[in-house]
Amino acid sequence: MSGMAEMKPIQKMPLNQIDLMDDTFSVNYLPNLQSLRSSIKEIGLIQPVLLRKKSGGYQIVCGFRRVSAMKELGKSEIEVRVFEEKEMDAFQLFSLSLHENLTTRGFNAVEKAIALEKLIHRFQIHPDKVIKTFLPLFSLEPNEKILNTYLSLAQMEDEIKTYVLKEEVSRSNIRRLTGLTPEDRMAILSLISPLKLGENRLREALTLLEEISRRNQCTVREIVQRPEIQTILSQKELTPSQKTERVKKVLMDLRYPKMRQLEENFEKKRKDLNLPSNISLRHQPFFEGKGLKVEFQFETMEEYRSILLSLSQLVAKEEFREMIVLSKGQRT
Amino acid sequence: MFPFQIEKIYLDEKAEKDSVSKTILKALSDIPVETVQDKRGLIKQFFSMPDSIGVGKRHLLITHFYGRRLKPCPGTSNHICCGYYVINAITNCPMDCSYCVLQGYLNNPFLTLYTNWDDLLQEIDVFLSSDRQSFLRLGTGELSDSLALESIFPFSPFLIQFFAERHNGILELKTKSANVNHLLHLNHRGKTVVSWSLNPPKMIEEEETRTAPLKERIDAARGCQEKGYPLGFHFDPIIYHEGWERGYQETILQLFKQIDPKRVVWISLGGFRYPPKLKAIAEERFPKTRVFLGELFPGRDAKFRYLKEIRVEMYQKMAGWLKEINPDLFIYLCMESKEVWEKVFGWAPENSRHLNQMFEKRVRKFVK
Ligand code: SF4
Repeated sequence: MSGMAEMKPIQKMPLNQIDLMDDTFSVNYLPNLQSLRSSIKEIGLIQPVLLRKKSGGYQIVCGFRRVSAMKELGKSEIEVRVFEEKEMDAFQLFSLSLHENLTTRGFNAVEKAIALEKLIHRFQIHPDKVIKTFLPLFSLEPNEKILNTYLSLAQMEDEIKTYVLKEEVSRSNIRRLTGLTPEDRMAILSLISPLKLGENRLREALTLLEEISRRNQCTVREIVQRPEIQTILSQKELTPSQKTERVKKVLMDLRYPKMRQLEENFEKKRKDLNLPSNISLRHQPFFEGKGLKVEFQFETMEEYRSILLSLSQLVAKEEFREMIVLSKGQRT
Repeated sequence: MFPFQIEKIYLDEKAEKDSVSKTILKALSDIPVETVQDKRGLIKQFFSMPDSIGVGKRHLLITHFYGRRLKPCPGTSNHICCGYYVINAITNCPMDCSYCVLQGYLNNPFLTLYTNWDDLLQEIDVFLSSDRQSFLRLGTGELSDSLALESIFPFSPFLIQFFAERHNGILELKTKSANVNHLLHLNHRGKTVVSWSLNPPKMIEEEETRTAPLKERIDAARGCQEKGYPLGFHFDPIIYHEGWERGYQETILQLFKQIDPKRVVWISLGGFRYPPKLKAIAEERFPKTRVFLGELFPGRDAKFRYLKEIRVEMYQKMAGWLKEINPDLFIYLCMESKEVWEKVFGWAPENSRHLNQMFEKRVRKFVK
């Protein structure tokens, strides 16, 4: 605890004198009170909370979670130290509260965002100072891009913030979300929540959505609401990873329409050939480079003979000739 | 007036006494200068800055270069390359194209001017003397724009005069600027090709920050043509975008309204391509860029290129429009496979060496 606060005598304060709605100094977001409650139950409150006097009561400088936990536990008073109303300015107290919290519990991503947003907008601290002094305090690299990412996160919808925390979304993916409208973000949430995407898959999905929307000049929401995507999402029999694969395929097809056409043509011809399942015909990756690849598998001489027969019959088939043309990245 | 914003000059103490350094400092006399001893430390410090690439473009480093400064163009594996040599007189560029590969390539963010010209000229001299049979093509436009910095670092006139006296080498100055007035009076003896990278005005405006508008580039090319310089044009990178056909076709028409195709020694076509790490860097620096929105896929050399079908379509159409202007134009593809050459032209050089020989033949027609 800071020297200034330590010099204050500890006193008991009735909980009903503390204004829990006054969030001037709070950066709490989705606090987990469960463990705190158990600890208080077990050994009581170790640290007194810090309050500041204000007209008609007290505001909390540091200890929102503790006050809430005590209240939930049905206590009527709490140990506190009190600053007088004009003793320190609000920014000093906020800064004290941040340091205090850092030494005891640390902050989640949204709390960092709220803290940075308050520093800039409520306490009017110059962004350069915030970048230099406070970003390192939160273990963030001191640059404007990071500050802006967190300031945008602070403005995002609660559902998004909750998702960010629950799924531990990375900073780069948070940044991808910042460029979107609230409607698009909520649409994305409706897509990604049921899919349970990891970091890389999320990045892939966000990138595809953003690029399709820019290419096709449509909103992300319009993409997400496409029937082919909604149908996949509504299929109860599919696992999240099956849904993810299928949604990805839809997005890839939208993002790369010419490639999709080539793939579809190739696939159609392959089907038309009616090859046995132990023979596969493939084109080069991305139709770059020449030629087709044939792969076959057999266990007996009989099978081998039948494969050779199927392969030799290909020569006479028009579809096969067309597949060779297609494999060069040309249309038939 | 120097058209680019320079915030500070770092002068390596080793380059302090060079007359070139003095010329630069005189031309930029209102810009603060700091002498540096620890060049590496300085580079490291700049690299740790946010947008070190953008910042680097606003800071000059005047220094010496000690390694080999003449290198074969890196080309790319499994593709036909033209056997070009890159002269490193400057690294980095004050212009700022969204697709510029230098953004992810340089190990020094500064706009770096190497003032030990004598060493470089000697290196070129030795190189040309070592192979008197071939006709070699060398250029300064790979690690920077050849002419953008000429008003403070007038190296090209030296090179032009140097090449005028060589029998087996030709210099290419490749630019997106219109900065040619200081070259017009020189006796180049046809040994310097001044060339321009061209794109339609919309692409220049959206993707090529601080470069000269198309009209100025063409006017400058005409100025050089009038003074007998052989000319080169590079439609590279060709960017596949909505309305690309009209954009490129009009650009070609606009070009040849002023330029005599018989004075054009070569024209290259190259679809936009990029190494994997460029996308993240460029999108960070140019959030509005649309160049990465095309259908680009990694090839065998790991570089991303448009789908082959798209590339072939672009090259066929471009080559068609150009041949309509004059069927004798010498058009080549930059870093493309034999297969793509065949599809576009109906034939392909056997290999990079063959293409190089074709260049030699072509160049000899232009050299006085
Ligand atoms: S002019 Fe050339 S070197 Fe300069 S930024 Fe553009 S692409 Fe890069």
